[in-house]
Amino acid sequence: MYQYDTIDKDMLADRTAEFRGQVARRLAGELNEDQFKPLRLRNGLYLQLHAYMLRIAVPYGSLNPTQLRKLAWIGRTYDKGYGHFTTRTNLQFHWIKLSDAPDIMDHLAEVDMHAIQTSGNCIRNVSADPYAGATAEEIDDPRVWAEAIRQWSTVHPEFSWLPRKFKIAVTAAPKDRTAAKTHDIGLNLKRARDGALGFEVMVGGGLGRMPYIAPTIRQFLPVTRLFSYLEAILRVYNRHGRRDNIHKARIKVLVAALGRDEFASQVEAEWEKIGTAADLPDTEIARIRGAFTPKAFETLPAVSEALEAARAATPAFARFVRNNLKPHKVAGYGIVEVALKAIGETPGDATSEQMEAVADLAERYGQNDIRVTHEQNLVLPHVKLDDVPAVWAALAEAGLATPNMNLISDIIACPGLDYCALANARAISVAQNIAAKFADPDRAEKVGELKVKISGCINACGHHHVGHIGILGVDKKGEEFYQLTLGGSGAEDASVGQALGPALPYDKVADAVDTLVETYLRERQDGERFLDTFRRTGVAPFKEAVYADAN
Amino acid sequence: MPMRISLTDGAFSLTEDPFTAVSDDWAIPQGDVIISLTRFQAEGEGLLSEGRKVGVRLESHEEVEALAYDLPRLSVVALAFPKFGDGRAYTHARLLRDRFEFKGEVRAVGDVLREQAGFMVRCGFDAFEPADGSTPEDWERATHRFRHVYQRSTDRRAPAFAERGE
Amino acid sequence: MKVLTANRLIDGEVVFWKQGQWVERFGDADLFADDDPKAEAAEAHGKNQPTVVVEPYLIDLVESEGLWAPVSYRERIRALGPSNLPHGKQTEGGAAIEALLHAHGGARSKGRVDLIKRK
Repeated sequence: MYQYDTIDKDMLADRTAEFRGQVARRLAGELNEDQFKPLRLRNGLYLQLHAYMLRIAVPYGSLNPTQLRKLAWIGRTYDKGYGHFTTRTNLQFHWIKLSDAPDIMDHLAEVDMHAIQTSGNCIRNVSADPYAGATAEEIDDPRVWAEAIRQWSTVHPEFSWLPRKFKIAVTAAPKDRTAAKTHDIGLNLKRARDGALGFEVMVGGGLGRMPYIAPTIRQFLPVTRLFSYLEAILRVYNRHGRRDNIHKARIKVLVAALGRDEFASQVEAEWEKIGTAADLPDTEIARIRGAFTPKAFETLPAVSEALEAARAATPAFARFVRNNLKPHKVAGYGIVEVALKAIGETPGDATSEQMEAVADLAERYGQNDIRVTHEQNLVLPHVKLDDVPAVWAALAEAGLATPNMNLISDIIACPGLDYCALANARAISVAQNIAAKFADPDRAEKVGELKVKISGCINACGHHHVGHIGILGVDKKGEEFYQLTLGGSGAEDASVGQALGPALPYDKVADAVDTLVETYLRERQDGERFLDTFRRTGVAPFKEAVYADAN
Repeated sequence: MPMRISLTDGAFSLTEDPFTAVSDDWAIPQGDVIISLTRFQAEGEGLLSEGRKVGVRLESHEEVEALAYDLPRLSVVALAFPKFGDGRAYTHARLLRDRFEFKGEVRAVGDVLREQAGFMVRCGFDAFEPADGSTPEDWERATHRFRHVYQRSTDRRAPAFAERGE
Repeated sequence: MKVLTANRLIDGEVVFWKQGQWVERFGDADLFADDDPKAEAAEAHGKNQPTVVVEPYLIDLVESEGLWAPVSYRERIRALGPSNLPHGKQTEGGAAIEALLHAHGGARSKGRVDLIKRK
């Protein structure tokens, strides 16, 4: 894990002092709300339905036990004893007081954490593959680049007052676990034929009102030129992104308006003028890279007798292994998914006690390494297979062992109308209703991989556009209605979901999902996932089934 | 005479402003003036040949490249912030300094607040007309909030990675 | 009928206007008849308190169990708390809370519409 040095720590201390001063000036009336709001957003503070919400940065989804315990403590001390992990791998607290926020920042800084630029029209938290450093598939460790970009983007002198928010993701494996193609910039690490390391640069993806899959504007950018190229992209956006209409202000609109080729050539022209002066020295990259080598792995047999025995003896454990344990690059180790998706609970929420349980496990069994995924779950990326039975037992006791990763009850849902001032409709209870229908784990496994993603409004924080089944809350005459979409994907085969039919009322949504699943089970051929069946049959059989029922 | 905050050799002070900002529909008075880009393109030559100091006010949607040819003869470029969140002037300032090597005054006008002082100074602004009643001392404090910076910029502050190299 | 609502600046708490003060319970709020000029006067007063509350606005009400409740579902959630956890104002219980929980009505709150248009 990256260790903050004196400079990084000073940055956090200075930022907290700055914010403390800004809060004092706001409370004293020296700043009005229009002047203050962008400042508090740049420190992660939203004014929501019931209180302030604080969005704490979890840079590229990476945490150590000390940090997770501090988050648990903050939740207990300043909130209601729980937090919510988001689709950008950050942590939100929903019941924060403005007057406590500066103190909370100080507490976060004690463990090298912060809420810098988690909102506002600036560069946001950079996300990376949650399996970084653990998966055999990766070309290079994306966290190295995510950390370098984090520093470069922090209080950037030129790019802190952009037309709109700006989200960057770094992926480095054939399987994309970051939804990179739906980001403003997606960076895909690859190797050239001569072995040189570089990025495929994708610009102009986004969800929200108008979803876009990012086109590639440069097939191969040598990694040593990353920062001059980012400067070129951000400068073109800062100058030419629209500022007249908040709904047309993302870079995706600029890329679509100019066309991929024209946009790319404007970036290349600017890049040429910038030259290499803006690039990061190799020594700095090497310094950051040095922080990410894990502790030495033991030499272990590929098959763990302890794990196999436990699998044979305990069907529930076998089910957990089937769904929540992923292959590790080192023989005898595994990647453990920690489910924040217990049936009937709020997707992505974790109590302070649960956070502490995960911290303890990471410390005892997991090389002090915890990750957050963009699908609102946690990961222990380095667990010896021999230890997985004990880890499972502890997770089960803490309610964190639901064996449903990537299954239908592993639902992504934003906080929605229960918490969010932007929302049209509730998302959490819709998720709970659907999960209840698939509480039977046999049924869920029979259905297989099915990503349900629910957003309470068009801002799409629940990523509904890229759900295999997407659900969007709309407000029809003050009642909660939901528009369903099918066939979206946030992975390397990215696609935007297609509308199913007219919006459905709240009490019809779970039944509709049930019907969609039954239709899939009837139509599917040979190992097709729901997504594959839909891509083959199109929307017709699904639409017919759902709307026949609804009549 | 009206005042503005000037940044000279790292120090902020209130200085007399010899320039009159003239809007497009007013006659141009005697003395040094700041006029719009459109007006400069029409009347700038004439004004400069009279020996007075001329400045141009650039709106946030205007292109700084339009001034490139004339910059050596301009005393001031006033970059407008229609709202403090319109960050285009930061790019304009950096291009003026770094790409076009403009040595005159780069002045921040419009919705200019001390809360954005640090960004402005790092991008090469050296004069400010605050809209929030802030003083040179306020600006001095605001630009010293961060002991370190992560990026190279126009101000040539050593970035963190250079400090670490030591 | 209407009430005036806002969020308190210092802690974000949902508050309601009652005789020149801001109270936390919807049940305690001053009620304004639809054409009562005191409603707009109170809103103007609230907008003049930038260090006390943020964005005060009027909301429409509907009758419920002999009491009143916001017409809009969003405003009922603000007056009660979230529906997924027993947190917020609903934990107090009592007749006013029950009336909020059982209210019906689908029309949008006028105040909320005004906010959207202002953007």
